[in-house]
Amino acid sequence: MLDAFSAETLKLRRHRATWFLVWIFPIGALILYSIAIMVQLSRGLPPSPVAPELETWLNNAANFWGLPRSGFGRIIVTAYVAIVFAGEYAWNTWKLIVPHRARPSLIAAKFAVSLLLLYTAFLAAALLVNLLGTLNDMARGNPLPEGISAGAIAMAHVKGFAASLPGVLLSAAIAALAAILTRTTAAAIVIGIIVITLEQLFTAFAPVLSLYLPGMVEGLYTMLPGYHLANLTSWILDGSGMVVPFPNGATVAWGWQGSAAVVAAWIVGLMTLSFWRFGRQDIN
Amino acid sequence: MEPVLELADLSKSYGRGERAVHAVRHVSLTVGPAEVYGFLGPNGAGKSTTIRMLLGLIRPSGGELRLFGQTLADNPSPLRRVGSLVDGGNFYPFLSGRRNLEVLARTMGRGRERIGDLLAQVGLAKDGGRKVKGYSTGMRQRLGVAAALLGDPDLIILDEPANGLDAAGIQEMRILIRSLAEEHGKTVFLSSHLLHEVQQLCDRVAIISQGTMIHESRIADLLRHDSGYRVEATPVSVAEAALAARWPTQSDGEALLVDASREDVPDMVRRLVGAGADVHAVAPTQRNLEEVFLSMTQSGETPDA
Repeated sequence: MLDAFSAETLKLRRHRATWFLVWIFPIGALILYSIAIMVQLSRGLPPSPVAPELETWLNNAANFWGLPRSGFGRIIVTAYVAIVFAGEYAWNTWKLIVPHRARPSLIAAKFAVSLLLLYTAFLAAALLVNLLGTLNDMARGNPLPEGISAGAIAMAHVKGFAASLPGVLLSAAIAALAAILTRTTAAAIVIGIIVITLEQLFTAFAPVLSLYLPGMVEGLYTMLPGYHLANLTSWILDGSGMVVPFPNGATVAWGWQGSAAVVAAWIVGLMTLSFWRFGRQDIN
Repeated sequence: MEPVLELADLSKSYGRGERAVHAVRHVSLTVGPAEVYGFLGPNGAGKSTTIRMLLGLIRPSGGELRLFGQTLADNPSPLRRVGSLVDGGNFYPFLSGRRNLEVLARTMGRGRERIGDLLAQVGLAKDGGRKVKGYSTGMRQRLGVAAALLGDPDLIILDEPANGLDAAGIQEMRILIRSLAEEHGKTVFLSSHLLHEVQQLCDRVAIISQGTMIHESRIADLLRHDSGYRVEATPVSVAEAALAARWPTQSDGEALLVDASREDVPDMVRRLVGAGADVHAVAPTQRNLEEVFLSMTQSGETPDA
C-alpha cells in the first residue's frame, strides 16, 4: 500500500492540475492578501478604535476554511479528483500499473494522495490567511482582542478543518465514482458539478418544493446529504444544530450524531461503489 | 518443468444473448520456460483481448488462466513476475521517461537502481530526462520495453513490440528478445503482425482468427507441413496429367506445383518417366510464414487439414 501511495505522490506532485487546482489555494491566498494589505496601507486608513470580540477575531483568523466547504470549493475538489482518477483512462496508463498492484490499493492510494495534497494546500492557505490578516492588523495599528493564544487559534483551525472534511470527502467520492463510471475527465467533472449544484439547490429550496410534493421532499431532505453537511458545520462551528422549518409545520432538526451517520453512509457508500466497480472493470 | 503460462478454454464475450460478441473463444495453449512464443492473428482476431486477460486487465468470461502454476482468479500475485508492453507503451505524458519508470518501480515496490541501465539498454540514455509527450512512437515503444523489463520478470508479454521502430530498431529488438530467452532464461510471449520477425524470433507460434485458435506448433513444423514440390518436366501437359491423378497439382505455365511430401518424390519421378515426360528438376518449395498465415486466416483451415 505504501508503494502505491509513494508512486501516486511522485506522479501527482508533477501534474499540472495539482498546480492549478491545489497549490492555487495558498498561492492565491498569498497574492490576494498581499494585494489587499498593500491597498489598505496605501490608503492610510486610521486604525480601528476598538478591538473585535475574541470569537469574531478567531472566526476571521480561520475563515479560509469556509472556502473548501463552499459550493465553489467543493467544485474545485471535484474537478481535481476527477482528473486524478479519469486521467489514468485518458493516458491509458491503467495498463501500465494495474498488473503490478492489487486494484483496491491503487484506488485507495488515489483517494489518500489527492486528499492529502488538497488538505496540505488548504492548511497552508488557512495559515497564510491567518498570518497575513494578523500582519495587516498590526501594520494598521488595529487593536487585537484580549485572550488570543496559540491554543485558541489552533482550535479555530481544527474546527474549520473538521467542518470542511465531510463536504470535501463527499465531493471526492462523487468525482471518483463519476470518473470510474464514465472513464473520461470532462464527463466526470461535469457530472460532479451537476450533482453538487443540484444537492445545494435542493437543500436551499426543499422547504419551497415541499409545498408541491409534501412528504416526499421532507423524506428526501433527510436522506440526501445536503442538510446533514450544513447541520454538521453548524454543530462544529456554533455548537448547535440547524433547525429548518417546513411550511406544513414540520421541523427538521437532527443531532450531530445522526447527521454524521448519514454523511458517513453516503461517503462510504460512494467510495465502496468506486472500489467495487473498478475491481470488476475491464481495462480495454 | 512447470509451464510458465497455461490457458485452458479461455473465452471472452461482450454483451449477452444474441447480441453477444465473442472476442475470444476457447483458446488453450501452454508456454514453457525460456521459450519465445508468437501469437499471430489478423486485426480483430482476439490477440490483444487475450493478452489483456493474461495481464489481469480484462476478466475472462470463461476458462482458466494459470501463470507459474497459479490461477489468477482471486490472486493477482503471479503478475508480479510478469513484465508487459501493451498498446505501444502508455505513459504519463507530463513526466519524463525516467520519472515514468520511477513511478512504475514504486508501484511494483522495487528500487530504481535498474532504471539507468534499462534506459541505456533500449537506447534512451540521453532522452530519459525528456518529457514523454515529446517522444516519438519508436521512443515510447523502447520505453515500453524498458518498463516491461523493470521488475526483472520471468515472463515478458509484448504486444506488437516492433511497432513504430525503424529497421535498425527492429533488429535491436530482435536481438534483445532472443537474448532474454537464451541468455537470461526469460519466457517471452509476443504478438506481432511482422511475420518475418516472428519467423526469426519464435520457437513456437499460435495462430488465432476470429477469436478462435486455429493452429499451434513449432515454426519449423508449421512451415514443413506446408511444403510441396516444384516439378519441371516436359511436355507440361503430359506431366500434369501424370501427377494430378495422384496429388493436388497446379501449373504456373513453366512448372508444376505439387502438394506432396518428401516420401512421394520417387513415386512422382517414376510416374513422370512412365508417362513419357522428360524430368528436368524436382525441388522442394517452402512457403514463408506470411503465406502460411494468410492462407490459414483467410480460409480458416489449418495446414494439416
